[in-house]
Amino acid sequence: MSMTSLSIAGETVTTRLAMRMEDSLQAFAVRAACFIGELDVPYSEEFDGHDFGATHIIAYVGDEPVGTLRVRWFKSFAMLERLAVIQRFRGNGVATLLLERARQLAETRGNNMLYTQALPADVKYWEKQGWRRLVAEEAGSAPKRIVAMVKAVDPSKPLPEAEAPESVVLRRENQLDAAGLPLGTASN
Amino acid sequence: MTEANAETISNRPVITIKLAATSDELMQCYMLRAAVFMGEQHCPYWEEFDGNDYTASHLMLYVDGEPAASMRVRWFATFAKLERAIILKRYRSYGLFIPFVMWARDFCRAKGYAKAYLHAQHRLWPIFERMGFRRVDDKIFHFSDHEYGAFACDLEPDAATMPTVLTDPMVLNRPEDRLEMPGILEDSMTRGASNPHAEWSERRAN
Repeated sequence: MSMTSLSIAGETVTTRLAMRMEDSLQAFAVRAACFIGELDVPYSEEFDGHDFGATHIIAYVGDEPVGTLRVRWFKSFAMLERLAVIQRFRGNGVATLLLERARQLAETRGNNMLYTQALPADVKYWEKQGWRRLVAEEAGSAPKRIVAMVKAVDPSKPLPEAEAPESVVLRRENQLDAAGLPLGTASN
Repeated sequence: MTEANAETISNRPVITIKLAATSDELMQCYMLRAAVFMGEQHCPYWEEFDGNDYTASHLMLYVDGEPAASMRVRWFATFAKLERAIILKRYRSYGLFIPFVMWARDFCRAKGYAKAYLHAQHRLWPIFERMGFRRVDDKIFHFSDHEYGAFACDLEPDAATMPTVLTDPMVLNRPEDRLEMPGILEDSMTRGASNPHAEWSERRAN
């Protein structure tokens, strides 16, 4: 599907949208390995209630699921999150492939803007991928815990300044029902 | 301070062990395994999810409602096989492993199994020996990068309470980790037996 062709140890890397239960489980398993196993994130934070209103993209090396990215659809932008690549497959451009697949998907849906919330340490990575800070960094301001970043879906149509205020996406969405969340998260 | 008060303000975590009974609980089980086996031990996806998950029972352990440990049990004719036992990294200092395995042993025994069987990673042999498991032979084998030995433990099921074909049918219909408590199908008995498909079966039989 993707324009860039990539292979790792002789195996072709492909991307696919999760269409069946098994696909979704593969996406979730990759995230569990990276976020719960490696980074010690609690289960109830990782699986936050948004997984069934989102699109999941999975990257495969041969038939092994090695990477995933979640896309949530908002009216004026597509939100990319939960980007994960299994440790031993990192450094091969799998994430770039996933991000490009998400960009193409947003394009076919008529979206103009990609949005993400990056950790300060990852900002350089996103900038290399063609993203910019939503709000320019202010000199002397306190360091942020997360940095909102955006990218134009069509590079020939650059984004106007500050289009998606952070407050729109940082609050919990109305469609989330606290009673339906995993145990232990209802008080958040 | 009364005992009840001491209970309310206790800072001891609440541990719950149960059979995974919903798709959410199954998903939690799979995600814990992905975290430990794929994330920490670098096991490939298709070795971890080996095709036997839908022929097995899955046990879940929660700490204050948060999924913390899981185990898979497969039912063979003469023994129950305990596998895929994991505890999430952040809960490993809680002393959960032995109580969890003992719960699994009791669960197998309550179902009438006289033997629990498992493949133990070499480093865990002393722990399983402490829980009454003995090696079945002196073979050492390996898969998914680890060395294993086969262990078994005699369970001595209670002939008076273990399920048999003569057990009350409505007891056999109960959730398997709560055979002593009435289940949802017993509630359905208040509706009576209208035998809604009787006519169809009569046509088929004649």
